[in-house]
Amino acid sequence: MIRQSAKAMWTTRIIGIAALVSVAFTVWLALWVTPPDVVQGNLVRLVYLHPAVAWVALYLAFGLAAVASLLYLWPRTRSLFWDRLAAAAVEVGVVFNVCTLISGSIWGRPTWGVYWTWDARLTSTALLLILFLGYMALRRVPADPEVRAKRCAFAALFAAVDVPIVHFSVLWWKTLHQGATVLNPDLSPQIHGSMAWTLLLGFVALTLVFFWMLLVRYRIGSLQDQLGTGELDTAIRQRQAEGVVSHPVSSETPRTPVSVASSVVHAPVEPVATGAGKASVAAPIREVLR
Amino acid sequence: MNYVIAGYSIVLGLLFLYAVQLIWRRRRLNRLVALALSEADAADAAANQRAEDGP
Repeated sequence: MIRQSAKAMWTTRIIGIAALVSVAFTVWLALWVTPPDVVQGNLVRLVYLHPAVAWVALYLAFGLAAVASLLYLWPRTRSLFWDRLAAAAVEVGVVFNVCTLISGSIWGRPTWGVYWTWDARLTSTALLLILFLGYMALRRVPADPEVRAKRCAFAALFAAVDVPIVHFSVLWWKTLHQGATVLNPDLSPQIHGSMAWTLLLGFVALTLVFFWMLLVRYRIGSLQDQLGTGELDTAIRQRQAEGVVSHPVSSETPRTPVSVASSVVHAPVEPVATGAGKASVAAPIREVLR
Repeated sequence: MNYVIAGYSIVLGLLFLYAVQLIWRRRRLNRLVALALSEADAADAAANQRAEDGP
């Protein structure tokens, strides 16, 4: 897995271009095409952005992190692939969570008169950010990869308990935050016409942005693991077996960025399948990410 | 409208900066892995040369 497969590279590029185009189109519709709201005036334009980033952070990123962590803990699907995927989803999710809090605060100032209030929805969202920042801190604690993966999986599941609390907070408690516009209990959207289409496009655009970031962040995690573990040795040995390299690799083969200076050479490297583990369910996803 | 522009600028700006940082990290790690492999190749070629030259 030293060199990214052509399929994965093209998938990432296509998703990236689609994300860029759809975000540009959403901004154009949101700021110039859709009309002001009867009640909120121009502030409604922030509604095309804020719920979309919240959707990505809460449901896609942290939801995916919880599912991946669960699959890691499940003995039949245990593979470091799920751990890497969860780590990637959490990091991207934290960025989107910060965006959710910022866009919500900017909308709240002219609407409620304050940037921040200890409302149930706002507080539970801030708590979610703190919990997943804790997850990221836990990943940096030096440990065996298996031990780290296991403790992080438990931490992700613990933090993800807050996701339904955030979602239902507007129903369970009397809050300042408005109820769900689209995913309300009756599943009857309270937004129509060009506003509804712009909102929907915003969701699609930021979902594409999330998947592009997830693919790139997963690749980074994979490369970091290769530099930090023996996967690089495995790749070199495979090349030896193919006749590219005839002698065993020296034990002084660089493993860390410390030994790398200026002369970067892009050696042609065959892809190596690593970390297959027991998770056959992960194979199709891994193929795209590889 | 100022709040709207501020909201879009900050959120999209933050996402853009994170995306640029991701690309930079990936590129740097790709180079590190390629360099580690090429150095292994160079060490191996030197060993082969010494073996051919003989004692």
